[in-house]
Amino acid sequence: MARLSYPLDNRRLVGIMFLTPALLYILLLVGFPFLLAIAFGFSDVTVGNTDLNFVGLRNYFAVWENDIFRQVFETTIRFTLVSQIFILIFANILAIIFTQDFTGKWFARFIFILPWATPVSLAMIGWLWMLDTKYSPIDYLLLQTGFLGPNGILSNSRNLFWLATPDLSQISVIFVQVWRMTPLATVILMAGLSSIPTDILDQAEVDGSRFMRTLLQIKLPLILPIMVIALLFSMITMFGDMTVVYVLTRGGPVDYTRVLGLYSFQVGIEGGNLAQGAAISLFAFPLLLAMAIFMLRTASRAEVQ
Amino acid sequence: MSIVQITSLKKYFDSVRAVDGVDLAIDQGEFLVILGPSGCGKTTLMRMIAGLEKPTAGHIEIGGEDVTDLPPRKRGVSMVFQSYALYPHMNVFNNIAFPLRAQRRELKFDKRAIREKVENTARVLEIDSLLDRRPRQLSGGQRQRVAIARAMVTQPSVLLLDEPLSNLDAKLRANARDELKDFQRSSNITAVFVTHDQIEAMGLGDRIVVMSEGKIQQIGTPQSIYDDPANEFVATFLGSPSMNILSAKRFRFGFRPEHFLPKTLHDNPENSRIFHYYVKRVEYLGSDRLVYGYVQGHERELTLAKVPSNVRVSLDIEGDYEFAVHNRDIKYFDNISGQRIEQQSLAQAF
Repeated sequence: MARLSYPLDNRRLVGIMFLTPALLYILLLVGFPFLLAIAFGFSDVTVGNTDLNFVGLRNYFAVWENDIFRQVFETTIRFTLVSQIFILIFANILAIIFTQDFTGKWFARFIFILPWATPVSLAMIGWLWMLDTKYSPIDYLLLQTGFLGPNGILSNSRNLFWLATPDLSQISVIFVQVWRMTPLATVILMAGLSSIPTDILDQAEVDGSRFMRTLLQIKLPLILPIMVIALLFSMITMFGDMTVVYVLTRGGPVDYTRVLGLYSFQVGIEGGNLAQGAAISLFAFPLLLAMAIFMLRTASRAEVQ
Repeated sequence: MSIVQITSLKKYFDSVRAVDGVDLAIDQGEFLVILGPSGCGKTTLMRMIAGLEKPTAGHIEIGGEDVTDLPPRKRGVSMVFQSYALYPHMNVFNNIAFPLRAQRRELKFDKRAIREKVENTARVLEIDSLLDRRPRQLSGGQRQRVAIARAMVTQPSVLLLDEPLSNLDAKLRANARDELKDFQRSSNITAVFVTHDQIEAMGLGDRIVVMSEGKIQQIGTPQSIYDDPANEFVATFLGSPSMNILSAKRFRFGFRPEHFLPKTLHDNPENSRIFHYYVKRVEYLGSDRLVYGYVQGHERELTLAKVPSNVRVSLDIEGDYEFAVHNRDIKYFDNISGQRIEQQSLAQAF
């Protein structure tokens, strides 16, 4: 027994043991692919010819001069920004509701966390059915209530074509992203709200503050740093995401819902041009890095106590 | 005239009786201290006066109006928490102005009136140079003043204080106690002060309410509570070291260590009760000697004596001495209930 426990008393050894899994994970699944992508980005590698010949910034210039890339880049930024606004609003409202006392709170929390806990691809297949061009249950309900169909309020057609028109397909994708990302932001904000000392909230109550004043002048300012962290998480996740559009629209109709992650995948893997695919995905990197640094600095500056 | 009237107030948390039937009248302008060990229900009682906790049963009247079901903002009370609960993201000015802004509709203030009130209150508490600072830039004592300023700025009818001195270090505390008392007296506000510290309670209170297990044990001036404890709990809770309690056949009796002195120091020993005292250990505390020992016939009950150092009596370890207590300083308690028994009724019982 003594012999067995001896190595575990060694702080260095135990430290290394605890760190190894995380280090391996970062090195093998994040670090290596990242370095590989950088190497690819400066080369002329394709699926057909895996020789790495250095070509400088050629890929980046080619990508930048490509009109489709510019549109994809703009779409990605627009989707990310618009969805973040809704995520912040919904997450704040939900976090406030879920930190109040009411019966069935546990169950309601459980239901609302589900979109985030479900595997993305699985959830997207569900949405694919919900938004189906012909058999969408949403369309069916609208039809039954007189919003669709002959003399319908929204359209004379029997369907809205959720994923097939330029405007609706973008709205649908943003809606699904908001649906998917709101739970995580909510959980983070809930943690923030419940970390506010009860003395402060009791004090506000004795001071005569009502619900809205306490919310706007006490609670929200106090959880601002945590809100920035939540925003950062969902922004970075969303900026690099490709699963949602890959399953729902494949970037269509035309290019209206094509985002950076998907485009990089389509050019690099499906199109076989590994070098340009890598260059496309790397365009997001400096932007995300700058965003992360800016937001983390804001958060630590706003940090109170 | 009483400004707060509390009638058979109860608060049960499931099976725990935090406050178990409290009747209390608080007079206008008095400094009332609620004293008790932790878990005695004193904070719950205060939170019910503030309106932060809903009573299970009973009534609270403030200024003649039944406020039992009213929210805190309609009660005209304000509160200082143990942690001070300053809003960390607001500067001192905005902290003090917060209750004024929150109650602007009820109190009918405009912006200029708010500024004036905040500045006046800050001046009284000598924090007018700190108005632009954030709470984290303040010392403990300054934070406490900001909390008091914020509580006072609305001119409440009752000021509730929940152990506001316990976060200050010992040196500051005596000073803060003195200032708090001065401030209360000059502003003539009714203050209810919760504490577990008997020295604070004795020093500050016009009256002290001693609580234990959700019930009031005794209400009275500091001196009457110390000299005339209503029961064994109050007798032993107040005083340091606490009262010696010895068992007799049908009752228990007690006397304070400072009243238990060598017989030679008593002027007229015929009014005193004499004990044979075996000295086990002596602690020299500067102004006093604290003597640990046993009274003959009570060898299982450690008995303490507090003898002033300026009394030139030698007390040796393992020595036997004659000690005495003046009859009026001996208190008798019921064996079972712990309630005080008067000496006369005891005489009849013999």
